[in-house]
Amino acid sequence: MPDLRPVAVITGASSGIGAALARIFAANGHECVLVGRRENLLNALADSIAASGKNRPLVIPLDLTRMDTPVRIGHELGARGMEAAFVVNNAGYGLTGRAAQLDRAEQLAMIDLNVRALTDLSLRFIDSVARHRGGILNVASVSAFLPGPGMALYNATKSYVVSFSEALHTELKPLGIRVTVLCPGPVRTEFHTRAGIDTAQLPRMLTYSAEWVAQQGYDGLMRGRRIVVPGWGNKLVRLALGATPKRFVLSAADKSMQRRAMQPRWPKPPSGKS
Amino acid sequence: MTTIVSDRPRSMRTNELRPVALITGASSGIGAALARRFAGEGHALALVSLPDPKLAALAEEIAASTGKQPLTLEVDLTYRDAGVRIAAALAGAGFETQFIVNCAGFGLVGPAAVLDCGEQLAMVDVNVRALADLCLRFSDSLIRRRGGILNVASLSAFLPAPEMAVYNASKKFVLSFSEALHQELGPHGVRVTVLCSGPVPTRFQTRAGIRANLPRLLACSPQFVARAAYDGLMAGKRVVVPGVGNKGLRLMLRVIPPGVLLPGSQAAMRFSMRPPRKRAVPAFRRGPA
Repeated sequence: MPDLRPVAVITGASSGIGAALARIFAANGHECVLVGRRENLLNALADSIAASGKNRPLVIPLDLTRMDTPVRIGHELGARGMEAAFVVNNAGYGLTGRAAQLDRAEQLAMIDLNVRALTDLSLRFIDSVARHRGGILNVASVSAFLPGPGMALYNATKSYVVSFSEALHTELKPLGIRVTVLCPGPVRTEFHTRAGIDTAQLPRMLTYSAEWVAQQGYDGLMRGRRIVVPGWGNKLVRLALGATPKRFVLSAADKSMQRRAMQPRWPKPPSGKS
Repeated sequence: MTTIVSDRPRSMRTNELRPVALITGASSGIGAALARRFAGEGHALALVSLPDPKLAALAEEIAASTGKQPLTLEVDLTYRDAGVRIAAALAGAGFETQFIVNCAGFGLVGPAAVLDCGEQLAMVDVNVRALADLCLRFSDSLIRRRGGILNVASLSAFLPAPEMAVYNASKKFVLSFSEALHQELGPHGVRVTVLCSGPVPTRFQTRAGIRANLPRLLACSPQFVARAAYDGLMAGKRVVVPGVGNKGLRLMLRVIPPGVLLPGSQAAMRFSMRPPRKRAVPAFRRGPA
């Protein structure tokens, strides 16, 4: 029986950090599998990678909020004689606004994607990742280090990703699997449009390009780092958050989210107290 | 001015919904202790659990002691429509939610690669998804009734734990989400409290596969924890960590570097799966009070 070819499975690869990671993995000689919802964007990326003289990545257009998607990715890989050596869980989105006023179904779909699908894909391919001494790169955010009023569910999902990845890092190291969690600050991608954040309001000192952040993530993964926070500014933010009492972090986060939100989704609390 | 005289309860005359405290995972452990506590303080109850004869027994006991029959719902919270079914059952019984206690949850100890993948995802469904669903679904009536949300996390939320990776991460989610909700809903008069208890001897350990005796310095009885949680919720506290030992541990966890913390928690998890050498009775120092 011929050996299965090791591939790097990259979710959310149609744009932003995911697309940048796909290019970096391909440039470093990994065969890629691109998972995302937008087939035309994925195919365009696959074509441009093929044009640079690398293997054309396999495109799997699937929605990861669906519960059966990880199983189907496994089937697609098996059917084509591939198995995962690297898993990059990059797909995810955020929503800005009061949790009580945002659409509930959209918020729960965020859990299905940012938490459930990430957990599923991290666990599902452990055997083949160990066989190829590969790795898992989970994309979280600096949001993971603080509870975020105005982005309550998003920050909570990302804190899940950090805790889960840090534990896996220690647990899977003896198997020869590298597990890295990438915690970027603001990056100019479609993320902010989806989340309803005005990109003009992003702090410029903390904002980096998707390509640079992806390169930091890739290098960190290959070196077996547990956590990668790209940029000195973001590293400082992380340290400062750890040293500040939660009370102040919460009210400061609340105010800053209100400033950044594009739409006025911030109705005043009722004034007539009983 | 005329007065309408009727022997029917006021709520039935006016179609007004009655406030209720919704408690998930109520059939045993901390959930049952919280149900007794809420009942003792005069709240009407809706108790949710997996099908379990203990649920009916608890409802009978509460009905006998308070005179109010709790509504019991046997719902599996791993189902995606669990929230809809609970909401429909409450509306059908003429209730609207004033307090939500998200106590249902479970943990699993063991290497993530060895544990069943489906069971670990079910943990995400209950500990994360169902909890968020219930918090968001009833926010309108919570604001109207100026009620509260009590989310049961764990001291595990403060550290990542190899060999209990998904559980600790799910509790980290609960902590972060609840703290943000505390800030968001506070101005609307809704109290949001997250309970981060240390080890409590309940059915949790059996389900998780924990066999070692619980550390006596940290272990608290369900009654003690439920009382601290209820008082904390009513006082509008953000985080409640019951017991002096657990409070101290939480502070220590903040200063231990991850390079020490991660192997340390892994060793603790491995130790917890070993059977105890001798039986320690009682399992906790802080008894019912």
